[in-house]
Amino acid sequence: MKVTRLNEITLMQYIAIVHGAQVGTGIFSLPKDIALKAGADGWISILISWAVITLAGCVMLLLLRKFPDDPLPSLLGKIFGRRLGKLALLPFIVYFGCFGWIVMVNSMLYIKAWFLPKTSVFLIILLFAVPTFMLVRNGMRVIGRYAEFILYSMAWMPVFLLFPLSDGHWTNLLPILKDGWTPVLGSVRETLFAFTGMEILFFVYPHLKRKQYAFHGMLIASTLTMFLYTFVTILCYIQFPQDEIVQINQPLMNLLKIIEFRFLERFDMIFFALYLFVVSRSWSVYGFATAYSLGRLFNRENHTGMTALYLLAILVVVFVRQPTWNQSIRFGDAMTIFNEWMLFIVPVVLLAFVQIKALFRRRTPG
Amino acid sequence: MKRGLCCLALLLVLLLPTGCMDRMDIENISLALIIGLDLDDSDNLEVSISSPVFSREAKRKTEVYTAKSLTLRASQDEFDKTFKAFTSGGKSQILLIGKKLMLQKHWYALLDPLLRDPKNSTTARIVLVDGPVSKVIHYDPQDKPRLPIYLTYLIDTASHLNLATRTTLQELHSINLDKGITASIAELRFDDKIFIKGSALLSENGIYKLSIGDEETRLLRMLQGEKKGEFKFTLEHEGAPTGNGIVPRNLYTVSAVKYSRKLKIGYARDHFTFDFHFHIRASLLEKLFPFDVLKSEDALEAEISRQLEDKFRSLIQKIQQAKIDPIGLGRFARAYRYNEWKPVENKWSATLSDADINVKVDVLIAAMGSIR
Repeated sequence: MKVTRLNEITLMQYIAIVHGAQVGTGIFSLPKDIALKAGADGWISILISWAVITLAGCVMLLLLRKFPDDPLPSLLGKIFGRRLGKLALLPFIVYFGCFGWIVMVNSMLYIKAWFLPKTSVFLIILLFAVPTFMLVRNGMRVIGRYAEFILYSMAWMPVFLLFPLSDGHWTNLLPILKDGWTPVLGSVRETLFAFTGMEILFFVYPHLKRKQYAFHGMLIASTLTMFLYTFVTILCYIQFPQDEIVQINQPLMNLLKIIEFRFLERFDMIFFALYLFVVSRSWSVYGFATAYSLGRLFNRENHTGMTALYLLAILVVVFVRQPTWNQSIRFGDAMTIFNEWMLFIVPVVLLAFVQIKALFRRRTPG
Repeated sequence: MKRGLCCLALLLVLLLPTGCMDRMDIENISLALIIGLDLDDSDNLEVSISSPVFSREAKRKTEVYTAKSLTLRASQDEFDKTFKAFTSGGKSQILLIGKKLMLQKHWYALLDPLLRDPKNSTTARIVLVDGPVSKVIHYDPQDKPRLPIYLTYLIDTASHLNLATRTTLQELHSINLDKGITASIAELRFDDKIFIKGSALLSENGIYKLSIGDEETRLLRMLQGEKKGEFKFTLEHEGAPTGNGIVPRNLYTVSAVKYSRKLKIGYARDHFTFDFHFHIRASLLEKLFPFDVLKSEDALEAEISRQLEDKFRSLIQKIQQAKIDPIGLGRFARAYRYNEWKPVENKWSATLSDADINVKVDVLIAAMGSIR
């Protein structure tokens, strides 16, 4: 049976989900993360990373094309058989679960630092968890609608970043490639991390109604992300000199702080409160991937229970661990290697495996 | 199903009032609109804060207090000991720094909490006070709005008229870390009233170096390429009689309505060369001597150009002698001459002091007004 029958999504929703999964809280520190190695040429690394990630997306789509109606759990089942497939699913669940968790925790840390310094960590996450639960348990179509709605309704946000442009110094960007290509290539790894989210294709693609546009959609989504990142990075670079940007933890936040209107002084507060919607898109998608896979692992048709379980687990972990900034940064660093495997190694290995299997099958009858 | 959703929605609404438990009313916050930092006679750090009082019963609507403290953050306790409410730096508009403090090494590190705590705003205007800061902050004029508002307007207007440069905390932070520019900030003096004195130029590590007046501030802003605001200059007409000593019959004032700045960066014989070329469209604002502007336009234009060039030259000489770079020439050197810049980036100000900086001015009189 086609598991995705009742949950088909349009191309726009597909784009919004993939783009949404990519854009999280990383954007706030991205300009600094790149500048640490690449200096003012950091924006070039974004372009390179975009090319690399799009390539990785192509490989994933090549694999997924062979199993057009199977989300990751049944895809693994078809490749490795029922038992082994479930075993193979486990690391994926951990991966998606951890990613949803880290995005949520990061957002919580921002909220706590900027608005609610005295509110407990647990309570903030609880407030995140309730709407997330309502969203995630409904499945891909509802998430798709939500993601698309956010994409349109928050499109004005980058425009406001242009306000301080006249005080910027374009000379900060010059000379281009001042120390050659080495530092630029050196920071591609950090930049790739910001593009994480492409692997959500494993769950989104089977739901896409018109699969012939899967590639176009993926390209548009990652290009959107690339534009957003390049835009923000360049704006930060012309506003803050390189010697300073490496000293600021979240350059985008400092950029927002400069924006002042006569009637509204702390624009950064409002901006960030609304940005929560954008981030929520990211953790919802990861949450869905986790809950859905968990459901399939235990042969549940419905993943509502698993959604509740996952969010509960997050709450418990947060309650016990009380995450701090440093922990979150270190955890993110630790996730980088995991993420690289997921984006670049796993799809290639799976594709190769499927091809070889097909080759053998063709030979056996003949 | 529907009922479940309703219950959940109600529960959510119930969650909202919990936020009222630890709410903060505006009456309970002392917004430090002005923060003053200075050294007292025996070199102890003195922190002053001026904050508005939201109370119907209070006769005076501003609280001011000066406390001795080791650091800015530690001083908060001293304020909370006397102020009506919790002090907060989220709305600070002005940061007054005493000249005595600004002459100290590493004084800038004291500002760390303002940049570290995300709740603090980073757009406070940095102002140097020539004299004791506490006098300025305790000034309570009858004919002005409350001091924080008055000072904010004063600085913003002065910056528009280019009497002083307006530098925010964030900008100062950027400039101090940037190797290619040194800071220039507004300077005040107190003499029964508050006056804008001009701009103060700081060295690479943020230490006070030199003060310039309003005319030099305008020249500096033009060298920086700042187009906003007024640029007017009062000049002496060569060869005109000086008058009877009461009415100066040889003076005239022109305003650079529009100008363009071209900057060429070169490097020759171990020297950086910077060639500025200004094209100025000027309008005549006043002229106290008879002169036919229509007929001898060229002569007047040449004279204005020459005099402005001289003024530019003497300002640049001052800057080079002080070994500072408020124009930000280092940024250009880095952008266009990176290979030559790289080895000297850590001693840029010294390098600049023996660079060749030339200024050429071309003036076009665009308007002479409604009388000849």
